[in-house]
Amino acid sequence: MSATDNTPEQAVEAVENDVAATVSAVADIPPADAGEKTIWSSLSFWGAHLWVLGYAGVLSGAFTIQFAMGEFPCPLCMLQRYGMILSTLGALWIIMQARRGTLTPTRYMQGLGMGALGAMAGALVSVRQILLHIKPGDPGYGAPVLGLHLYSWALITFYIVVLYVAVAAMVSPRGIPVAPTGGAGRAISTIVVAIFLILLAANVIAIIFLEGFAWVLPDDPISYGLIDQLQGQPIPSGG
Amino acid sequence: MDIIILVLLFITALLILKGAKRGLILSLWVLSLILMLGLFRYHVTSALDLSF
Repeated sequence: MSATDNTPEQAVEAVENDVAATVSAVADIPPADAGEKTIWSSLSFWGAHLWVLGYAGVLSGAFTIQFAMGEFPCPLCMLQRYGMILSTLGALWIIMQARRGTLTPTRYMQGLGMGALGAMAGALVSVRQILLHIKPGDPGYGAPVLGLHLYSWALITFYIVVLYVAVAAMVSPRGIPVAPTGGAGRAISTIVVAIFLILLAANVIAIIFLEGFAWVLPDDPISYGLIDQLQGQPIPSGG
Repeated sequence: MDIIILVLLFITALLILKGAKRGLILSLWVLSLILMLGLFRYHVTSALDLSF
């Protein structure tokens, strides 16, 4: 049966289906210049590493304050860490796909989207915590670092990520990351990824000690819940 | 809940490294995000007092 035999509604539906199928097929195909190494593709590849390394540095700083200065992270502090990790997983996705040579424009955009959404979720928590302590005379939660509390710094990093994603999306037709094929570049990339993974594993261990068998963290933690609970103290409410 | 979220994030990172299926990675990532937002909602126990 030819298209002319169809009713107008059927013809429109057939065309819509064809368009949808074509869009779906084309979306995952790299453009002609994808995979070609340009200054933009290198910049965006190493930009994703800087993103991972930046948040690895922030998470290390948070650990330093937690273990060296003895400050326990509050529930909102931990939620901001999750926002950072969620965001960094977007960058990690981009890096690993680029390294395998499977990074298409669609997948690159998905990685950037993960990064932006994670950053926005983290920013939501940062803003809440800033507003909780914004009144004059309020000392804030924890000791300030370089004049700002950690949640204020966290908000700044989330804005930087959203800005980076916006710029990366703007230059994306030419800036699809391309990984170096070998040598020092590949080794550096592996080290950056490994550092982030080790910090993520350390966070898993730390939260097990902080929360123990409780369902959520207390509002103002002053000790490691797991150790307290193993010594016979009751599991806090909600646990 | 914090432990669940972080374990999910860790598993997602491992799956990204292993090159697992895109749908699985994105599903776990979205689940982590939803749990994080749910936990945030749980910790928001009062309205902000912003009267200066």
